[in-house]
Amino acid sequence: MKGTYLGEFEEVVLLAVAILAGDAYGASITNEIEQQMGRSVNLGAVHAALHRLEEKGLLSSRLGGATAERGGRSKRFFTVTMAGTKALDNIREIRNRMWSAIPKPA
Amino acid sequence: MKAPIQPPRWATRLLHWFCASHLVNDLEGDLLELFAQRVRTYGIREARRRYVHDVLSLMRPFAVKAKREKYPQPALIQPAMIRNYFKIAFRNLAKHKMFSIINVLGLSAGMTACFLIALYVHFELTYDAFNQKSDRIYRVAADIKTSSETLRYAISPWAMASNMQNDFPEVEAFVRVQKEETLIRKGELKFIEENTVLADSALFRVFDLKLLKGNPKTALVAPLSLVLTETAAQKYFGGADPIGQTLLLGDRSEPAQVTGIMQDPPANSQIKGDIFVSMSTYTAHQDKNIEREWGSFGAIAFVLLKPGTDPAAMEKKFPAFVQNHAGKMMAEQQMRISLSLEPLRDIYLHSTRPADESGSADNLYIFSAVALFIMVIACINFVNLTTARSVERAREVGMRKAVGAAKSALARQFITESVLMCMIAFVLSMAFAAILLPFFNALAGKQVSKGIVHEISFVAAGLVIAALVGTMAGIYPAFVLSSFEPVKVLKGRFTTSIKGVMLRKGLVTVQFAISIVMIIATAVVYTQLDFMRSHELGFTKDQMLVVQAGTGRDRDAFKASILNFAGVRSATASAAVPGSWTPQAYSKIENSSGEMQAGNLDVYRVDFDFIRQYGLKVVAGRAFSNAHSTDSTQSLMINEATAKVLGYRSAAEAVGKKFEQWGRKGVIIGVVRDFHFKSLQENIKPLTFRITDFWNGNLLSVKIDGGHVKQTVSAIENQWKQANPDKPFTYYFLDEFYDRQYRADERFEALFLNFAALAIFISCLGLLGLASYSTVQRTKEIGVRKVMGASAASIVGLLSKDFLQLVGIAFVIAAPLSWLAMHRWLEGFAYKTDIPAWIFVAAALLSTLVALATISFQSIRAALMNPVKSLRSE
Repeated sequence: MKGTYLGEFEEVVLLAVAILAGDAYGASITNEIEQQMGRSVNLGAVHAALHRLEEKGLLSSRLGGATAERGGRSKRFFTVTMAGTKALDNIREIRNRMWSAIPKPA
Repeated sequence: MKAPIQPPRWATRLLHWFCASHLVNDLEGDLLELFAQRVRTYGIREARRRYVHDVLSLMRPFAVKAKREKYPQPALIQPAMIRNYFKIAFRNLAKHKMFSIINVLGLSAGMTACFLIALYVHFELTYDAFNQKSDRIYRVAADIKTSSETLRYAISPWAMASNMQNDFPEVEAFVRVQKEETLIRKGELKFIEENTVLADSALFRVFDLKLLKGNPKTALVAPLSLVLTETAAQKYFGGADPIGQTLLLGDRSEPAQVTGIMQDPPANSQIKGDIFVSMSTYTAHQDKNIEREWGSFGAIAFVLLKPGTDPAAMEKKFPAFVQNHAGKMMAEQQMRISLSLEPLRDIYLHSTRPADESGSADNLYIFSAVALFIMVIACINFVNLTTARSVERAREVGMRKAVGAAKSALARQFITESVLMCMIAFVLSMAFAAILLPFFNALAGKQVSKGIVHEISFVAAGLVIAALVGTMAGIYPAFVLSSFEPVKVLKGRFTTSIKGVMLRKGLVTVQFAISIVMIIATAVVYTQLDFMRSHELGFTKDQMLVVQAGTGRDRDAFKASILNFAGVRSATASAAVPGSWTPQAYSKIENSSGEMQAGNLDVYRVDFDFIRQYGLKVVAGRAFSNAHSTDSTQSLMINEATAKVLGYRSAAEAVGKKFEQWGRKGVIIGVVRDFHFKSLQENIKPLTFRITDFWNGNLLSVKIDGGHVKQTVSAIENQWKQANPDKPFTYYFLDEFYDRQYRADERFEALFLNFAALAIFISCLGLLGLASYSTVQRTKEIGVRKVMGASAASIVGLLSKDFLQLVGIAFVIAAPLSWLAMHRWLEGFAYKTDIPAWIFVAAALLSTLVALATISFQSIRAALMNPVKSLRSE
């Protein structure tokens, strides 16, 4: 299952795309992660992760609307694919299972 | 919008530089958006910092990676395409035969000239280079200073070499060489060998002359030993083994033994000869005291220094060395000898001391420049002709581009074509060179090369250069042709840029400027030579036969026997004739202040009737005469130059003054008007005349009638054979002999004439190409003009005008340049012609005429063409 293995940062990016549902592009994703995690991230790191996730088939992208703030440059919108959703569910399930397996303190 | 707050510009630029083009747009968008937000939340500084940080963080493989090509990229070298290039190239050559011939011919003519000149320059530059120890071989040259002058000799005192070897541990070996004319006999064979060389036994140790038979260490040790070159051995002994055989040497017929056979020395060796005679023959046999003489000069001395010797340091010790050995002699004779070392490789080209043969570095520069010019002209042509044909090939280019040829592929195709053209030209030029080499050798007067097969390394270098020229010359046309826009070209609306036209016109101007310079140079060289040949020399040289008639009573008897021949007017003996070498004698003559002024003066030893027969004018005193018994021992005649050196205001003052020279004392009896006893390159030097001794004066000048020269000469020859059955009859005509001094200049003229013609020829080819190009360009214009009523003549004029302008500009550039260059060249002559104005007029007319004739090929055809033809296709 090497192909679908998710790194920690990749998982965060994938989640951010899911959260932003439909309005996920480089800058917004960066902002979302920064807000959610309370630390600053590099745009380069975000884009690299997006690129990898797209290669793995967990994300898909299309070019879309531009704003004046962006100097008229178009946005690349990312959406989570079916495989991406499945991968997130999968991770969550594993986590849940593991959480529940922790013995309760007496 | 408010004044934009910009992120750091350099970071943006960096992003654009590294980032793949399909990603850069949205990445930059993200960056800008984040930047704007951060400016609001964190302030400008922080926003800028984060911006830079983000840009740097984007330098990752995914962003840098280039977008994958939509279509597969063809390999750079594809056999099929290359085959196609060649096919198209050959088709093009075959289709436009005239054009191809002009182009290839021009290029190969240029290459041939360059190749031959390169051979010549290399030959001259590598003089003596075959000696592997040449960096350690030096010539010891002597300067002699007297109160009145300094003589710069190539020869040195006889006693010097052996003493030098004793006194200087730096000297590994020395060898003296002296070239002489020697009578050699073997049975019926008898020759006066002009190239006999006396040489010390170390000859083969110092120079890399190969001994084929015999021991190089001992071959030239014993007196009366001979080493023959292969050629000489063949001449005397045919196929037989000459070792141990004897030849009879000199007038006294001394038997000398052949001790060695050597390979013929290379043509570019200073040490040249047919027969090498051991130096001991002279120093230990014929003149036993000579080796102790510091006052006698003869033989050129070469020393081989030990490795690591500093010649400058050694030279510093020379004054003490000379003082030690010759101090007393120098004090007695009021002169000083100083010695210097000249590196072997520098002698031929750079030494100004007298030599049998010497090269001229200036001439080499001139020829190299000429070669370069010719090559430049040829290359310009090539570029011109190729670009000029762009009209015809424009459609091909458009078609190729339309079906998908890239610009680079087209450029490659055109470069391939031009390289191919160069290769064809190269092969042709090698063929030309092979054919022309013998003529070139004759023209240069030297065996520059034995044949093209001996110059493989040159041919290889030529091939590389040809390929380079092809590439270089091909780059511009390739660039121009491949950048045509297919739509425009295929639509037929095709114009060349003004820039391209200017460039081509500029190139043609350069070509013609070079050609005009060469025309003018050739004309000036010719004028100068003509001036020298027709200059009043001050003596009669016509119908004068000079016979080598021996000395003493034999000669006098021979002279008496021919005097009553029908064609012979008079005869007189002397040791030198005008144009020949003259010895110099240490002389003391009373000068205008009454002192005995010492100096080395040229000497003519002459018979009583020499002055009269040579038509020399006695300006003061009297000529030698039989009537005065003292004339043969106590009288001297001088020329005006001598009187001037002595400080006399008029020739008459010198008459009756005292002299001492070579064992004679007495008075000056007469002064002769200055005459040119050396070439016109030199000023007339002081000269003295004295009556011959019984042992010299072997040249018998015979004045003959103009009518039956042949019969008279053969009558004299018969008489000689009767009187001297064992000696060959050797003679020459004085005028030819004298003019031989200008042979180097005549060669220079001939070479120049040939290359100037070549330059003009190639330039005309270029002009022809350009003219045809421009007429094709203007076909429609001409058609319209004709329809409107223009005459053929006016159209020819129209077409020619442009080009004549170019020739005019070329002339304006060339005339002052060539005047300067030729003015400098003429400075090398003591007696020189002015540069006449007609030369410039003639050069201008000639180049205009040639240009007109060339253009008319095209322009007349264009002017006579039916306008219907050219206009119909619209």
